[in-house]
Amino acid sequence: MSARRSAWWVAAVLVLAGLACIALRLYVRRQAQLAHDDSLWRITYKVKFNAARTGAGLRASAPRDTTHARIFRQDVRYAGLAAQRLKSTRELSREFALASLGSGPHTMTARFDLHLSPKGRWRPTETPLTPQLREQYLRATDTIPASAPLVLETLAKLDGTDTTNRVQRIFDFCVHDLRHGDERTPHDAVTTLRQRVASPLGRARAFVALCRAAGVPARVVTGFAIQETTELEPQFWAEARLGERWTPFDPANGLSGTLPEHFVPVARDRIEIVRGTDISELEAKFEAIRLPPGPGASRFGRGRFGAIFDLTRLPLDMQEPLAIMLLLPLGALVTTLFRTVIGMRTFGTFTPSLLALSFVYADWMTGLMTFAVVLALGLTSRALLDRLKLLVVPRLSLILTLVVLCIMLMVSVLDYFNLTPSAQAVILPMVILTMTIERFYLTSEEDSPAFALELLGATLLVGVCCYGVLRWNAVGRLFFTFPELHFFTIAALVLLGRYSGYRLTELWRFRDLGKR
Amino acid sequence: MNLPFLLPRELRALGVLGMNQRNAEFILPGNPRSHYPRVDDKLLTKQFCEPHGIPVPETYAVIERHGDLRKFHQLVAEHQQFVIKPCKGSQGRGIVVVASHDETIFTTPGGEKWALPDLLYHLETMLAGLYSLGGQPDRILIEQRIVRHPVFEPVSVGGTPDVRVVLYRSVPVMAMVRLPTRASRGRANLHQGAVAAGIDLKTGTTFGGVCQNRAVEVHPDTKAPVAGIVVPCWSDLLAAATKLAGVMELDYLGVDFVLDAERGPVVLEANARPGLAIQIANRTGLLPKLRSVDATRR
Repeated sequence: MSARRSAWWVAAVLVLAGLACIALRLYVRRQAQLAHDDSLWRITYKVKFNAARTGAGLRASAPRDTTHARIFRQDVRYAGLAAQRLKSTRELSREFALASLGSGPHTMTARFDLHLSPKGRWRPTETPLTPQLREQYLRATDTIPASAPLVLETLAKLDGTDTTNRVQRIFDFCVHDLRHGDERTPHDAVTTLRQRVASPLGRARAFVALCRAAGVPARVVTGFAIQETTELEPQFWAEARLGERWTPFDPANGLSGTLPEHFVPVARDRIEIVRGTDISELEAKFEAIRLPPGPGASRFGRGRFGAIFDLTRLPLDMQEPLAIMLLLPLGALVTTLFRTVIGMRTFGTFTPSLLALSFVYADWMTGLMTFAVVLALGLTSRALLDRLKLLVVPRLSLILTLVVLCIMLMVSVLDYFNLTPSAQAVILPMVILTMTIERFYLTSEEDSPAFALELLGATLLVGVCCYGVLRWNAVGRLFFTFPELHFFTIAALVLLGRYSGYRLTELWRFRDLGKR
Repeated sequence: MNLPFLLPRELRALGVLGMNQRNAEFILPGNPRSHYPRVDDKLLTKQFCEPHGIPVPETYAVIERHGDLRKFHQLVAEHQQFVIKPCKGSQGRGIVVVASHDETIFTTPGGEKWALPDLLYHLETMLAGLYSLGGQPDRILIEQRIVRHPVFEPVSVGGTPDVRVVLYRSVPVMAMVRLPTRASRGRANLHQGAVAAGIDLKTGTTFGGVCQNRAVEVHPDTKAPVAGIVVPCWSDLLAAATKLAGVMELDYLGVDFVLDAERGPVVLEANARPGLAIQIANRTGLLPKLRSVDATRR
């Protein structure tokens, strides 16, 4: 039994290695204190609204990274809403979109943890200014009428030697020549310039309108000036394109060039942080609290080799899919348990975990419904295809094509009935589905439909269990912070690989042996 | 205690070998992967059998390419009866037994009729690997049809029974006969509803009986008792099985025989992962027998 003994040894070594890695990580984390002057903050969005219909949408913009601020963790919680993808491909905003699954009151809470540093240690990626974007940032709009006579008139008095100088003069004008208004002061640029009284938003708009009129791309920025409060108010400032970069100007506070680190932009060229379609009674509250130094925000951003092992330093958009991927081995562990300890047979070894994975990206209702419809249509067409007597590989490819078409049709149908808010709700593993259809068909032909159904049921049951594991957000985050936990998974798999006890189903299978 | 299942300790007391233990303790260490093709490819198995005088069904033809299918009716013209098998098939999948044909219509012993184009399509899918282990492209074996030995006449429906011998380190440890039923559609496959009966290794007499994992005494279709049948040429069969196990160099091996009315026991195929239902058919566990082989062979 030397193989068994070595398996135990390997498992023991793996467990020890896992523990050592965790201890090392905790030690390094404790050592890696925040740099002097750095601080950690948590911004919480508390949003309430009333959905007028199913599929009503809510969009919220998340704080953006700057050279002085980095969001290292986010957590969005909601009920009765379906998540859509976080959109951060454009530089304007990093939005997450939700759609209601019914009408009536809903709530959403989002938490963002930020690391602020006065040293400006980060380099957030900036998208280049395309001609389209340039045109957009020069355009005259209702609130920023860059071509209005009053704007051009005002601009004529603010001549400068070059662009930078001219923007500086516009800024000076907006800071000094506009009086501070009260809450009744209108927010649009023309009224502001006419009355020479400005609200913070009106002041930022006036600045942007004047810049645009002067041919300098500019935009209004909505963001937070972070401080410990339960009522964080959105702030408005502006950004002008000077040379190859956007330079912030805050005429309301008289700041230009570089803003203090606690100014964190949220939305650009749009003033609402939270907005919706087909909703009413939208109420958004923002809070900020300072956090004690903790995980996720170590002193080392880049330039330290050890940072490679810290997954939490990765961009947030990457973190969510990676966290789910890190749970996949747990799905495999569940499958192993079902097969070697319980003795349940399924279609394909990893079909259940991969199905579960796709249901995590979708919501499981839509996923399961699509799965059922595609399977039914696939089996029907497979039965019809049998008459054509096609060779195996072309037939499988044909079924794959049909599966793809079915899924597309399903997306469209669901969308028609306002049931699916997102296209990704039905990203099913199409190859897996194709093979399942083929195997189901062959099994029911060769063995019996009952046996095929039994296998399908087992596949779904194991899939549901994997789904439960993959859905486990807290565990996902834990594995993301401590990927070395998978040393334990490997140890468990090694031991399961040497498990030679009875399968649970064998206790039933061999029941008649006990009769004498 | 009247539980609907047995407890692990009861199974252990009965010496029942479980799937995990079979794989971990017998198949993984005893059956080198490189020797698997010898049993997984029926043509290769035959090539191992023939030089050692182990009887196998006579091979009529082997089809390796799609192009050869055009010559199919020439290949079988001489033979009124034959069996078509995928070389790497498992559990009897894809096998077609032809009892008579007139070159356009092929009739199975059960009376099912295959038109030539349908049969050729079936052969194409076979070549493409539909029935082969792992879906690899396959070859087709056309061989002699075994004529059922009269001794099994009362206990088989629609097919030919086979005798499986499980050998461990070339020692026969257990044997059973598998009898086709209506439910198994003439195939001798236990999980499709065939009946199995244990065989006393010393005498070659059947005893016990199992169908769908339940103990039975009579054949479900013919109602004839499955116990008490003496398998003809039993010692020849055991000798052939032992010889084959030595040739194959697989420690844990199942060898399937059919009994031809004229030639006696003929090797149909060998299996490197023989199933565990043989224990139910014999109403006893394999483990003590395997252990005793280990003890004598140490």
